[in-house]
Amino acid sequence: MPFTSVNGLRFHTEALGSGPPVAMLHGLLVGNLALWYFTAAPALARSHRVLLYDLRGHGRTDRSLDGYDLATMTRDLACLLEGFDARPVSLVGHSYGALIALSYALLRPERVARLVLADAPLPPSRAEEVSAFVALPPQEMAKALPEPVRRSLPGGGRRSVRFLQALEFLIARTSFPRDIVAEPDLPDSALAQLSCEVLCLYGESSLCRPVGERLLRAIPKSKLVLVPGGHYFPLEAPELTTAHLLEFLNG
Amino acid sequence: MSDPVTPTQQEVLDTLAGFLREIVAEPWIAEVPITMETSFSQDLELESIEFVALATKLRDRYGFEAEFTDWLAGLEFEEIIALRVGSLVEFILRCHSPR
Repeated sequence: MPFTSVNGLRFHTEALGSGPPVAMLHGLLVGNLALWYFTAAPALARSHRVLLYDLRGHGRTDRSLDGYDLATMTRDLACLLEGFDARPVSLVGHSYGALIALSYALLRPERVARLVLADAPLPPSRAEEVSAFVALPPQEMAKALPEPVRRSLPGGGRRSVRFLQALEFLIARTSFPRDIVAEPDLPDSALAQLSCEVLCLYGESSLCRPVGERLLRAIPKSKLVLVPGGHYFPLEAPELTTAHLLEFLNG
Repeated sequence: MSDPVTPTQQEVLDTLAGFLREIVAEPWIAEVPITMETSFSQDLELESIEFVALATKLRDRYGFEAEFTDWLAGLEFEEIIALRVGSLVEFILRCHSPR
């Protein structure tokens, strides 16, 4: 590992542990595979083979200028899974990463063991309240970031400078904002087709919480569990998040 | 009675510092002393994704796997943020010491 070339890009990937396979996906803009690497992934890796990767344009994966639509990002996942494990894989996604996992499960139901949707936003164009956020000048973006993310970025230092550069790249130089806004909603009739067990994990005070309730109604074998915190509950309550993931994946 | 292949603390520290300089690849990192006391976050302002890359390089060099995820799983999120170079060096030395 740690780089895998598929779908025309070089992806930063990490595989940890051994056991039944699990792939974990982070959210857009402010995320990369460190979200799971420093929270739930090590604990899951004690009993699972865990695949982590940086989505296109994020972390150490190639900075693609386009392809931020759900179909292309789902193809990225499909290609990475092909080289990862032949067994059905469980998927854990946060935010837009959850939508990629969900879209893959709809496309390849026979390949998915279990599915965890952590604070998935629907319709996808609502992801991270993206349109309001991308309209801000870069210096305002830092202030508009959610508290758990801001806490890890001391103001003015190297990390926050690089972080804002990465944001600016995605927002100003790629098709990202257009792709997200153009993404259609997933109809309930499609969600009703999901055949695997689905855990909807949502932040108690997240703006996305009503989406969790909608998914619970629309997906046949689903349950909804609330975790204290907002959209970034995996960072706010990492131990509890890990415990819920382990219980569901081992259940 | 140490294993003949057990690296010394200085060797691990030098290897780690070399990897760090490769990953960060910015002029300032060559000038900064990297010691056991150096904090990844406060002193180096290392990005979390750069720490992941460092851990992977060290894993490939020193051949630890389950021990590392176990060690990481045992740390609180705040402890990981506050991690010093020395903690990682000591972890690697522990993996290599005879049980």
